[in-house]
Order: sequence, then structure tokens, then C-alpha cells
Amino acid sequence: MLGWVTRGLRRGIVTTRYPSSPEQAPFGFRGRVGFREGASSGGKDARAREDVCPTSAISAGNGLISLDRGRCVLCGACVDAYPELFQFEPEYETAARTRAALVVGDRHAAPEKAVQRSLAEQARGLKRSIHIRHVDAGSDGAEEWEIAALTNPYYDMQRLGLFFTLTPRHADVLLVTGAVTTSMAEPLRRAYEAMPFPKAVVAAGTDACSGGFAARMGDADHLQGVARVLPVDVYVPGSPPSPIALLHGLLLAAGIVTHEVVE
Amino acid sequence: VNVTRRRVEIQRADELLAEHLDAPIERNGMPVERWVPVKLDDLPNAAQRLLENGARFVSIFIAGKPTRSLVAAFAFRGEIVALRAPLNGNAYPALSSLTRAAELPERELRDLGDVLPLREPALEPVLRPDANDFRRRVEGEEAFVIPYGPIRSGIFESIQYVIDTGGEDVLAIETRPFFKHRSLEQRFRGMSIGQGAALAARISGPASVAHAIAFAEAVEHAAGVDPPALVHAWRVVHAELERIAAHLDVATRLAEDAALSVGVARFGILKEEVMRLRASISGSRFARDAVVPGRVGVPSSLAAPDILAALRSFERDFAHDSKLLVETASFTDRLIGSGTLDRDTIDAYGGVGPVARACSVAVDARFERPYGAYRHLGLRIASADSGDAMARLVVRFEEVETSLHLLRQALRPRRRNHSGHGDLPSEVSGAAFGWAEAPMGEVVYWLELERGRIGRSHIVSPSLRNWPLFAASFRGDVLTDFSFIEHSFGLSPAGSDR
Repeated sequence: MLGWVTRGLRRGIVTTRYPSSPEQAPFGFRGRVGFREGASSGGKDARAREDVCPTSAISAGNGLISLDRGRCVLCGACVDAYPELFQFEPEYETAARTRAALVVGDRHAAPEKAVQRSLAEQARGLKRSIHIRHVDAGSDGAEEWEIAALTNPYYDMQRLGLFFTLTPRHADVLLVTGAVTTSMAEPLRRAYEAMPFPKAVVAAGTDACSGGFAARMGDADHLQGVARVLPVDVYVPGSPPSPIALLHGLLLAAGIVTHEVVE
Repeated sequence: VNVTRRRVEIQRADELLAEHLDAPIERNGMPVERWVPVKLDDLPNAAQRLLENGARFVSIFIAGKPTRSLVAAFAFRGEIVALRAPLNGNAYPALSSLTRAAELPERELRDLGDVLPLREPALEPVLRPDANDFRRRVEGEEAFVIPYGPIRSGIFESIQYVIDTGGEDVLAIETRPFFKHRSLEQRFRGMSIGQGAALAARISGPASVAHAIAFAEAVEHAAGVDPPALVHAWRVVHAELERIAAHLDVATRLAEDAALSVGVARFGILKEEVMRLRASISGSRFARDAVVPGRVGVPSSLAAPDILAALRSFERDFAHDSKLLVETASFTDRLIGSGTLDRDTIDAYGGVGPVARACSVAVDARFERPYGAYRHLGLRIASADSGDAMARLVVRFEEVETSLHLLRQALRPRRRNHSGHGDLPSEVSGAAFGWAEAPMGEVVYWLELERGRIGRSHIVSPSLRNWPLFAASFRGDVLTDFSFIEHSFGLSPAGSDR
């Protein structure tokens, strides 16, 4: 037993200071896709740009191209085909409070900066601890790895007053992964109903936001993301979202259930 | 002529065994796909003869080209042997009456609705499970049922276990996968090769790289090309880092089950460091899109010496922590003798991966049918013989060391850079198998390509092949052993529920 104690002590502190100070993603990290600065999306081959995306995240209307990060699986097909227009951005904080905020055009930058600034204050101001219940409704298993990583010493979610709970009865936040399969829709709904008010739902991962690769054209009911089954409060796109992105999303959700949203 | 793979067509079924059983196994030669045409009614006979001679059932699926046929694939003496039976009716005599390994694949085939495997008693549906619909397996007054899942206590993927228990002892377990079946094999249809590679990397997170390699190998074999050695070397780097991360994940979960908090923290740190290294190399913590057919998907942002330096410091920490873990008696007490399997059970179910290797069954696609750079790298198969949860952990720890050894070989500067054979044409047509050894066992892909578009496909997941072994491993084990045994298997529902 003593061996473990010295192993633990020798390593020292590895924990991130996020959200008090920002966390830098490594060079070349594929955090999200964005438009290149100054890029102009001529309408000529707009249709071709639409077709390059396997999950229909790119759409062209009125000569303007928009990108739906809630559908983007970060495969990079658009970056490979049109490097003058699209690029990967080494960004960790990808969560948003509305589905619409995940859709970006080539003419304006992403909003929500104000909310992000207040996160650190909000985390300090949590009056009580926030308990999170995770439900896998059809993920590829990568999201579960990243969610489990939140309790490792690098992220140490507990320091922010965030805890995982084993029962929906004690949960404030429902953290849902996956596109929601036919067999998981009912268990998911029941987990949500078993939670007390106030409660918030976080859709974690592109599959949970929109169905991702699992989404099928013409099937309105299944595999289209969590919002078809439950009211979603926070969207965290990514395939999978990084642990910091998940932390970002959970802090946004914590703000909702404690009624301390600063906007 | 396909230089990467010999493809042998045999005219008659008797020829296969007559000619083949006496032939020497080609260890260093090219792995072979051997195709054997059979009549639908003769399929069970041919399968029986293969099984009797030591073949391992791989899967059964429908191929479209050149004629619509049922294909039963086996791993046999370093080859994939595929029995192909033209489908003229919509039913055939089920192979699951010959081998239990065929049961889940045939139940899936039944539910997909194209062909009905006939058997007494009839195969039960499996694809659309209902969480509230289960029944007792064991008769008796004192036995009752605990449905565990699909939503379970902790950060787990969804799967349901229906446990028959008398209170403490586990009498029977019914494993019910497919709660998260996403019909992804159908999604491949009509996709370009690039899109297919992106989808393959997103089927099972813990085995993203293995799926991508199996997909790429299938495409390359269908096209008859062999990418340059550099491409293969980077695939080894991504695949072995994935294996290390997955094995550390198992160690973390086991330490958590034993409430060994410093162990959880230490292995959590080691795993996180590997994930960060992967992100620094490929831009993705799961090395997604780093492996694509014919080329390097994402060039590494780190130079080989930097990766080697990171691995050296990892190796020191891992050596300390793994030694400490297997010497902590309060931890090993829970693993030794828990969930014990033996060779015969592994063979009966066609088990793969560390679960099989912990019973001294030497199945490893990297060795059995070497692909990519594994054709040239020195590889030792980790194995143990006690077949319990402890043996599975020991095998995993040994495999981490083997992976580090392979990584050092793959990252070594090459004196002679093999330039490969042929470029991947933009419009590939053909069909082939591809495979890779994932952390949980061998992944096999079958792809049909028509002028650069994917037609039919079939994915054989190691998790699906090992689920039945999980239930079979409970021999006098009690409910409190459940999580130890489950985590020692290290399976991924997303892999089976593709």
C-alpha cells in the first residue's frame, strides 16, 4: 500500500486550471472545422462543396456557404478538397446553448464569447454540487472514454463541484451520447422522467447532436439525435468531443440548473 | 496479378480438404483468401469438415457479386477460407447447430430478413431488443431474475445482461447486445472510398484504428495494390498506441472495481498521456482519419525521435505501476480464479483476442495472417494459461510491452524504404477481405467495390464473437465478481452493435 502512496506523491499535480485559465490544444488538433479568414465562398461550385461532406454539414443557399458543426464528424473531407475555404481549428471549447449557434457562415465569427467569459465566475459561484447521470443512447464508445477521462487527475471534474451519480433520481444533468437508436429511445425517456426538477440535458458528441453518420435520410424518427426525444439544453459537437469540450458543456448546463446564467 | 494476396478459387468442395489439409502452412508467404463454391444444402457438411479439422468460424453474410450468395468464412491454417453458396431460395440449414460461434451472426442474419437460417429450436430475434421483455432461463422456486441494463451504473456503453440468480450465485446470464444497433453496414452502401474510411474509423471508438486498417486492407487487396512501407509503419504506430490505451482503460476500470483509488488515478494518468500523445501525432485523440486506403491519412505533427522520447518516459512509469498493481494482494484476490475459461470453451465459441490468449489459444491476426508491416516485424504473442480475469490482465500488460517493442521497430529509421506496389486507382472495382488485430481481438471487413463506390459490406467484430464467452465464464462466480469479469473482457458494445 505504501508503494501507491509514494507513486501518487512523486508525480505531483497534473490537473488543468480550466476554466480559470484557458487550456491550449496541441498543434494540429482537430477540434472543429471553420472558415479560413478572408475566404470567400463564390457561388459557382457551391453545390460541389455541399456534396463533399458525408454527413450533410455543409449547405449552400443564396450563394453563401454555411457549416453545421452539429453535423460535422471532423473527417476533414472538406479541408482536403477546399483548403482555401475550410480549415481545422485547434479549439477545445465547442459547446453551445442552442442548435442554431452551431451553424456558422463564412461571413461572421462564432458568437457566445460573453457566455464563455462568465464560466469561470459561474464555476466558483456554484452554491451546491451538480450531479450528472450519463446515458449511452447509441454512441461509438469514444464518447464514453472521454467522459470517463473527466474524473482522471488531469481534468478532475470534482474540483468544480461536478460529480457523476449512478441514479437519475439524484441527477441534475443528463449527459446523453449517441444518435438514439430504436431500442434506446424508451430507456432514455424513462431516465429523463425519473430526474427531479430543475434538470438539464446535454447532447454530447455529433451523433447526439444530429445523428452524425448514423442519421438516415428519410427516417424522421430514429437516429436523428437526442433533440427528437428530449429537450436539449446544451450541444457539445465533436467526434468525439474532447474532455475540455465536455467540461465546457457541463459548466454551461450547471449554469442552467442553478439559475445563475450570466448573459 | 494480385501481389499482396494470393486468391485461390477451388472448383469443388472435396478438393479443398483433399488438397489443402496436406499442404504445408505458409507462415512467411502471402496470406490467402481461399474461395470454395458449395451448394446451399452442402454448406453444413463443408462447414463441419472445416470445423472438425480445427477451423475457427469467423462469420456468415450475403455477398452480391458475381451472383447473390451466402458466404461462410472461417480462419483456417493461416488463411481465410470462404464457402460460397449461391442463394436460390430464402432459407438454408443453420450453421449454429454445428458451432455456437455461429449463433449471434445467424440470429442477426435472420433479423436482417434476406435469408432464414433454419434450425430446431428456431433462432430467436436479436436486433431490436426491448429492455422490458426478458424471461427467466433457469427453472426453480428460489431463482429470480435481475435485468442489468441497458442503462447501467457508471459510465458504460449500453448493453443488457439478464442475470438468473438465487441471491448471490450467478445461475445463468443472457447477454443482450444490439441496443445501439445503428445499421452502419447499410450506411456504407454507395459511399466513396474516402467517406467509407471515415465511417469505418467511427464504428467503435476503442478500436477506431483497427477498423480503419481492416477497411483500408480490404480496399487495397480489392485493388491489388500495396502501399509504401512508410504507410504501413504509421499504421503500426497508430494501432499499437490504440492497443496500449485500451489495455490501460481495462486496468483503470479493474482498479476502480477494487476501489483502489491511487491505482485508478495512476492508470488514468497513463491512459491520458497516451491519448494526448495520439492527439499530438494525428490531431485526434482516437487517431481518427489517420489511416486511409493507399496513403498516410494525416501526416504526423511529431517527429519519430520525439515520439520515442515520450514512449521511454511512459515505459518507465508503466513498468512501476503495472508491477505495483499485480503485487497488490487486495486487488489480485478479486481477479484470481474469477471468470475462468478453458481452451475447449474458447474453441467451441471461436473466441478471439486477449480473452482467448489468456487460455493459451494463440489467436492473433498480426501473427496468424500477417498484414501490413507485421509481415516484417518481430512479434511475440503474449499468452497465459489460467484463463481467469487475472490471466487476461497479465496478457494485456505483456501486450503493452510487446506494443512498445513494435512501436520502437516501426519508428526506427529505415535503411531501405520499400516503395510499395501500385497506386490506388480512383475507381476501384472488386471484392476482398481485410483484417486487423484490435485491442479486443480480430476485426474482419468484407467489401464489394464497384468503380470506386462501396456495394455490400460486412464487419466482423471481436466483441460480438466474445460476448457468449462472457456468460460462459461464470462458473460458481457470484454477483460481486460481475464487474471484475466484465471489465477483464474489455469488450465494446459499439463494435458488435455496428
